[in-house]
Amino acid sequence: MGCCYSSEAEASDQEEETKRLLEPAASPPNKVLNGAEQSYHSLPSARTDEQAMLSSILAKTAINIIDVSAADSQGMEQHEYMDRARQYSTRLAVLSNNLTHWKKLPPLPSLTNQPHQVLASDPVPFADLQQVSRIAAYAFSALSQIRVDAKEELVVQFGIP
Amino acid sequence: MTTALTQGLERIPDQLGYLVISDGAVLASAGDLENDEHTAAVLSELVATACGLRLQRGHDPPFKRLSVVFGEHSLLVTVSGQKLFVVKRQNHVQEPVAV
Repeated sequence: MGCCYSSEAEASDQEEETKRLLEPAASPPNKVLNGAEQSYHSLPSARTDEQAMLSSILAKTAINIIDVSAADSQGMEQHEYMDRARQYSTRLAVLSNNLTHWKKLPPLPSLTNQPHQVLASDPVPFADLQQVSRIAAYAFSALSQIRVDAKEELVVQFGIP
Repeated sequence: MTTALTQGLERIPDQLGYLVISDGAVLASAGDLENDEHTAAVLSELVATACGLRLQRGHDPPFKRLSVVFGEHSLLVTVSGQKLFVVKRQNHVQEPVAV
């Protein structure tokens, strides 16, 4: 809040400065009272356009500025800090409860205490691999041959003369 | 710590490379599997799936080693102390698996 407030104050200060800067450009037509009226009429619109542009630049700059010195001036008491810390931690706790999918996967069971021996032992026999492959192929073939064999009427009428 | 983990792996016969994975991160790697995070991720998922299968009740752990057999090499995986040990080994049998 402090930084927003300070930047607004800064912006208004700078706006006054820009007004002052713009005045010399605006004053000559005022002095020449009997000058051409068209130029006098066209100038205010040009001036407001320029001012609008300048103030938009100022507004953009003000948004980008974070006034660190003003942040401390808010003056928070010790217990206010504690209250906020408590409030934030309760909010975080509520939010983290909802993040169920972020929870870690269940821990892996320890399969062995001698991983090196297990990995160095003989590979799976080729005959076993062949057998498993054959069984899988049979299973696949059997599954692919499953089909519905229509033998009876789909609609059967009971006791209708 | 890491050298103690990998010393035994380097002595495995016909090994072409190895990985030690903890919590999805590669702790140590060498050979063909050096910094192979893709293989590490795939095998971690494979082991987690395999551990989730319960073929025989009351039989814990369900297996000691997971072998992923390719034509010329195999990837052998085991779990010890929350770490995944993966070794890539050359296959001796060159015959293709007949289907």
